[in-house]
Amino acid sequence: MSRVAAAGGAITRAPPAFAIIRTRRIDWPPLLLLLPTAISLGSVCVYPILGGLWLSLHNTMLATRENRFVGWLNYRTLAADPDFWSAWRHTLEFTAVSTLAETVIGLGMALLLVEWFHGRGLVRAAMLIPWAMPTVVTSKMFGWLFDGQNGLVNWMLRSLHLIGGNIDWYGSPNTALGTIVIADVWKTTPFMALLLLAGLQTIPGSLLEAARIDGAGAWQAFWRVRLPMLTPILLIAAMFRALDAFRIFDLVYVLTGGGPADSTEVLSTLTYKTLFSALEFGYGSALATAMFATEAAIALCFGILIAQSLRRQER
Amino acid sequence: MSKSDDMPRGAAERGPGAGSDSPGKMEAVPHDLTSRPRAGSGRRAFLGGVALGAAALGAARPARAADRTEISFASAKFFGKETVAQVVEMYNSSQGRVHVSYDELPPPSDSTAVHQLLVQQLARRNGSPDVFTQDVIWIAEFAGAGWALALDDEFGAEVRKDYFPGVGAACTWGGKLTALPWFIDSGMLYYRTDLLGAAKVPETWEELVKIAEAAQKSGGARFGFLWQGKQAEVLVCDLVSFITGNGGAILGPDGKTVLLDEEKTVAAVEFMRDTITGTKISPQDVLSWDEEPSRRPFTGGQAAFLRNWSYVYTIAQDPKVSSVVGKVGVAPLPHFAGGQSSACLGGYQYGVNASTKKREAALDFVHWMSSPATQLHFATELGLAPTRAAVFDEPALAKSQPFMQTLKPVFVGATPRPVTPKYAQVTLVLQSAVSRALAEGNVKQALSGAKERIATIVGS
Repeated sequence: MSRVAAAGGAITRAPPAFAIIRTRRIDWPPLLLLLPTAISLGSVCVYPILGGLWLSLHNTMLATRENRFVGWLNYRTLAADPDFWSAWRHTLEFTAVSTLAETVIGLGMALLLVEWFHGRGLVRAAMLIPWAMPTVVTSKMFGWLFDGQNGLVNWMLRSLHLIGGNIDWYGSPNTALGTIVIADVWKTTPFMALLLLAGLQTIPGSLLEAARIDGAGAWQAFWRVRLPMLTPILLIAAMFRALDAFRIFDLVYVLTGGGPADSTEVLSTLTYKTLFSALEFGYGSALATAMFATEAAIALCFGILIAQSLRRQER
Repeated sequence: MSKSDDMPRGAAERGPGAGSDSPGKMEAVPHDLTSRPRAGSGRRAFLGGVALGAAALGAARPARAADRTEISFASAKFFGKETVAQVVEMYNSSQGRVHVSYDELPPPSDSTAVHQLLVQQLARRNGSPDVFTQDVIWIAEFAGAGWALALDDEFGAEVRKDYFPGVGAACTWGGKLTALPWFIDSGMLYYRTDLLGAAKVPETWEELVKIAEAAQKSGGARFGFLWQGKQAEVLVCDLVSFITGNGGAILGPDGKTVLLDEEKTVAAVEFMRDTITGTKISPQDVLSWDEEPSRRPFTGGQAAFLRNWSYVYTIAQDPKVSSVVGKVGVAPLPHFAGGQSSACLGGYQYGVNASTKKREAALDFVHWMSSPATQLHFATELGLAPTRAAVFDEPALAKSQPFMQTLKPVFVGATPRPVTPKYAQVTLVLQSAVSRALAEGNVKQALSGAKERIATIVGS
């Protein structure tokens, strides 16, 4: 906020010549200064989105050179396409489960790391390693961990007598998506923990101290002081995470390719196959637009929740 | 060598005005500096051709660049002891009429990118690249779009029969030859000679199941038979060999009739599932395995049989990574009773751009590239198996690639995947449906559903 105010101040302190012009005509200089931003945002954000929308109204196929305007045909096909709906469901399931798990576990980690203990700095840094790792490496690693024959997970579960025989994690439609969720949780929970840790550190210590003097235990301090104070940041972090999880691609692409029996096919992999393997640009763009619309809806839901929680806090 | 040597005629003999941009110059230069043998030759002439080709490297008078017809050649990246670029240079220095500039595309492992780049360039219809190489599954797509020049006038039926029949079929679209074979690979059966015991190499799936079960029971192998069931292109490759081995097919010869729910096809897919759930000669893991994950247990000594491509052999014989050195044999894949052994065809083939403005030069180049001598060179120096059956009998091949030579009977049964311009869409439906059938078991229903969807795709 302070920076914006400073910038505003700079404009009002502009030479008097401008002030005279301003009364009669449009104030050009500030608009001109905004132009580079408008152009760059327009060319890298607005134009591709509109271009994708426009393309999704065509039957463009690179191989057949078809490129006719077909109106809403692609969207009608989409609405009746079982592959799209199953991928859409898988993506939502993945997003919901992984975001929830990452938020809860991340909150736990953040609560631990906000307390002082020996080697805290080291733990805080080390915690980020999974997040810093390239996803393709994570994918390969989890491929080995959950390998159906020689995987460590099977060996551990067998040693603990939790399972009788090996489970083929990636080869069964019942376990494949869950396994990918586990890999994603492992990889991105540290990121959530980091965001929430930053949030916890903004809560004034005096509040906690006051609560303690009033006789609140750790549990009460958490429910009554920390969590309500943290809610807006928690929601913002969860929104980032959900929007990111919705675009899940690399883990699926490397580990299962969408199988078995389409059980791990998500919107990104389906769109990729349609756009770049089948080169159906029109229909592929319709898929991408549907993805965009769903993401916008998710963002909107979170936006409303965040606004509500901020309002509650101000009161 | 075979009758192929009667064909092709040299560019110079086609006479003036045959469409080249500089026919006069083409005639003026003596043609046969290339290793392409001429009429009525036998093996002697062929070997002579090789010698000439080699001599040409040093001896050809390098014509001035301006005198040469400049053409471009785009190909995925392959390499062994030599690279494709070096072979192209061999052609450039073997004659003085045509100069080929080579545009290297990504390696075949990144085949989506190669496909995309080719489609983008060909769709412009500006004649560039003049010559390109393509995966077998793109031939119909490129031909259907009108991007590939029909080569029937250049390569008559008498030339085509020199190539393996499956490759010829894959290179033909709408009754026209629209691609020229380069190199071949196909699925094959790897077996453990030490686990076979007194039994002979299985020729039918029934025999294979028996031997595999026995090997599992005796403790000789943890797995009987490994293949690839991951929802990916390789699943379609496995599918084709099972279905064709039972006398079934995915598409009819017209490329429009879908035969996916015929009895023989369903029975073949049911057999695939049965290896996992019934006879249990295959672990459930094959459903998530593509080539490499299925290869590792085999070269690790845990399996009796493996379906895979030719690359596995080199790894199996490398003592550093393999515990089955000297215990591995290769044979054509088994078939069902009443069917014929069939293996899924792979490999890359040449195509000439239909909008090339330098047709004569482009044809001269593909003639040279697909000639027996060049195919032999690709085999010995880059490890790419010839598509001409006769080249397998060359002593030079036996000397430098003894294993490749034994694959001739395997390649004879190589079968193309469904030949249709819409293959890219068809394969996605097949992968999804067959993966579903294997994982969930309702084979007939999954295949019937796929049949309908494929019919919509290829019918439109």
